[in-house]
Amino acid sequence: MSGGIRMKNVTLYYRLYHDRAVTLRETMLNLFNRKTRIENFMALDDVSFNIEPGESVAIIGSNGAGKSTTLKILAGIYIPTSGTADSTGRIASLLDLGVGFHPDLTGEENLMLNGALLGLGRNDMKKLVPEIADFAQLERFMDTPVKYYSSGMFMRLGFSLATAVDPDILLIDEVLAVGDVGFQNRCYERIWDFRQKGKTIIFVSHDLDAVSKLCERAIWLHEGRIEMDGDADSVLSAYLETSQKKYISTTATPKEWGSREIWFDSVILRNADGTPSRTFRRGERIVIDTLIKSRLPSGVDNVVFGFSIHRPDGETVIGSNNLEMNQPLLKFQGSVSSRIEIDLDIAEPGTYLLGLALTDPEASRDYHWQEFFYPIALIEERKDPPLRLSEAIWIQE
Amino acid sequence: MSAGWNIGRLTLLMESLVAKDLKVRYKRSILGFAWFLLKPLFSMVVYYFVFTRILRFGGAIPHFSLFLLTGLLPWNFFSSSLSATSSSLLDNHRLIRSIYFPRMALPAAEVAANLVHLLLALLVLEVLLITFGHNPGLSIVLILPALILLTMMTVGIGMILSVGNVFYRDVKQFIEILLLAWFYSSPIIYPLDSIGVDIIQSQRLMMILKFNPISGFMEIMHSIFYLGTWPRLWCWISLGSWSIIFLLAGMAIFRKAESVVVKEL
Repeated sequence: MSGGIRMKNVTLYYRLYHDRAVTLRETMLNLFNRKTRIENFMALDDVSFNIEPGESVAIIGSNGAGKSTTLKILAGIYIPTSGTADSTGRIASLLDLGVGFHPDLTGEENLMLNGALLGLGRNDMKKLVPEIADFAQLERFMDTPVKYYSSGMFMRLGFSLATAVDPDILLIDEVLAVGDVGFQNRCYERIWDFRQKGKTIIFVSHDLDAVSKLCERAIWLHEGRIEMDGDADSVLSAYLETSQKKYISTTATPKEWGSREIWFDSVILRNADGTPSRTFRRGERIVIDTLIKSRLPSGVDNVVFGFSIHRPDGETVIGSNNLEMNQPLLKFQGSVSSRIEIDLDIAEPGTYLLGLALTDPEASRDYHWQEFFYPIALIEERKDPPLRLSEAIWIQE
Repeated sequence: MSAGWNIGRLTLLMESLVAKDLKVRYKRSILGFAWFLLKPLFSMVVYYFVFTRILRFGGAIPHFSLFLLTGLLPWNFFSSSLSATSSSLLDNHRLIRSIYFPRMALPAAEVAANLVHLLLALLVLEVLLITFGHNPGLSIVLILPALILLTMMTVGIGMILSVGNVFYRDVKQFIEILLLAWFYSSPIIYPLDSIGVDIIQSQRLMMILKFNPISGFMEIMHSIFYLGTWPRLWCWISLGSWSIIFLLAGMAIFRKAESVVVKEL
C-alpha cells in the first residue's frame, strides 16, 4: 500500500545573507571589502523518521523549528542537502492555496492549468472539474475570471482543487482557516474523510486543539532537530510544558510573588489516571498535585489554597479557593501534600493558563502566588459517532 | 515527487502554460496579436529610412524593407523570449515554493509562447514576400529544422538567464543592453554572404561576425525567405553547434542551480 514516508538523516541548509548584496555592483564592491557574510543556516539537522501508510502525524514546534521546511522536502520542493527523503504514492500539498491561479483566467481555465501543473492528464482533470466546483460551491462562477472572486471563494477553489486529486499523502500547512465557518467544517470533514480512508496525513499547525483532534502521532521539532516523536497526547503535553516561557512571553507573563513563608515546593498536573499531563479532554478531571512547605515554626491553620484559570492574554476565566467553596482550609506543620481535583465544563477548547495561590486572608498575608504559571490545553476530541439518537416518536393523529 | 512526470504530462504542462500566456497577454487588448507584428514593422520603417535615405547602403539591396522584415521578425522572437525568460522564475516564486513540477517548463513555455507568435508572423511575411515577387523555393522546408535549432538555443540561453536573475537582478538589465549590441553585430539590417550583396568588405570582420551564434539563423532566413535559395553550409554548422552548446549548458546550469534557486526565491 502506498502512502509511506521515509526521512533518513535529512539535513538542509539555507543560505542566510547578512547585508545581502542584490545587485552585481554591490557584490563587486563586497568582493573587496567583504561586507556580505553568507551564513549557512541549518534548517534541519539530521532528521529521521518513518511514517507508515495511514498514519496521521502532526509536526509541531515554535516558529523556525523546521516544520514547513520538512513539508517542503516531503512535497519535493526542496532537495535535502544531505540525507534522503522518499515517499510512495501521490502527494497533495496544501502549503499555499490557489498559488497557480492567474487572476485573468476563469475558474475552469485555472483548474485545467493547475491540473497540468499537478501532473494530471487533461481527461482526468475534465472529470474532476464539476466535482471541484461542487465542493467549493462555485458552480455558477466557473466561467468568471478569478480576480472577481472574493478571497474566500478563491481559497475555497484552491482547497477543493488541492484535495480533489485523491492523494495517498496529504500535506497540510496551517491553511485550514479557509472561508466561512461552514466551509471550514467541510474542509475538516474532507480531511477527516481522508483519515478514515487510510490516507497518510502530515499536519503542521499551531492550533494544538486541531492537532489533537486529527492526529494520533506528533513530531516535535526544535531548531531543526527532533525533540520528541510519539503519541500526540504525550508530545503535546511535553511541548506545552517546555514552550511555556516562550509561549507566555508574547501574552501574559508568568508572575510569582509572596512572602514565601509557605510555598509550593512542587506542583504536578495530572489527569484522572494519575499520569502527568498538560492536555485535558472534555470531561476529563484535572488534578493539581502539590507539595506545600512551611518554614513558620508553629503550625499553620486557615491557609487558603486557590486556583485560577486565565485566557492566554491574561483575562481571568475562573477562580476559586477552598474558603469560597466551603472546603477545609489547610492545616499543617512543616510540609503537606495537597491536591485539587477540578472538573470543568469546557465551552471553548483552547490553551489556558493555570495559576495557584496560598494566602491567609484573615491575617492578610500573601504567602505564595503563581499567576499565569501553568499552561494547559483543554481539548475536544472528535466524537464518533458525533450524534446519538435519544428518542424519535412517530405520531399519527 | 511521485506525480509521475512523463513526456505526455510534460507536453500538456507546456501546452497549458503557453495557452495561459497567450490568453492572458491578449485579454483586454484591442490590437492583440497584431502587436507582435507591429513592433518589427515599426522598426522596419525606421531602419528603412535610416539605411536608404541617410546611410544609403540599403539601396544596394532590392526590396530592402522586405529584407529587413525577414531578419526583424525572428530577432523580435529572440529578444522578447530572452527578456521574458529572465524573469520567469521570479515571477512564479510562490508557485515554485508551494508545489513541485518540472520548473524548466517555466522558461521553456515563455519561449514556446513567443514561437507561436513567430510562426504566425512568418506566415504574414511569406504572403508579403510573394506579393512582391519573392517566391519561395523548395528550400522553404528547411525553415522547420532551422526554427527547432533556434528554439533550442533560445531555451538554453533563457534557462541560464532565468536562474542568473534569481541571484542577481542585474541580469535582466544587462541582457537588455547586451541585446542592443547583439542586434547590430548580427546580419539583420545587413547581409553577410547569403544574398550576393557584399556590404562587409573585410574578410576578417566577416569571419568574426559569422561566429555570432544568431548569424547562422539570420542568414538561413535570408536565403530561404528573401532569396528562395538553399542556405550555405556554414550557417547550419554554426547554428547547429551553438544550439547544442547552449541547450546542454542551459539544462546543466539549470539542473545544478535549481535546488539552490528554490530556496533563494
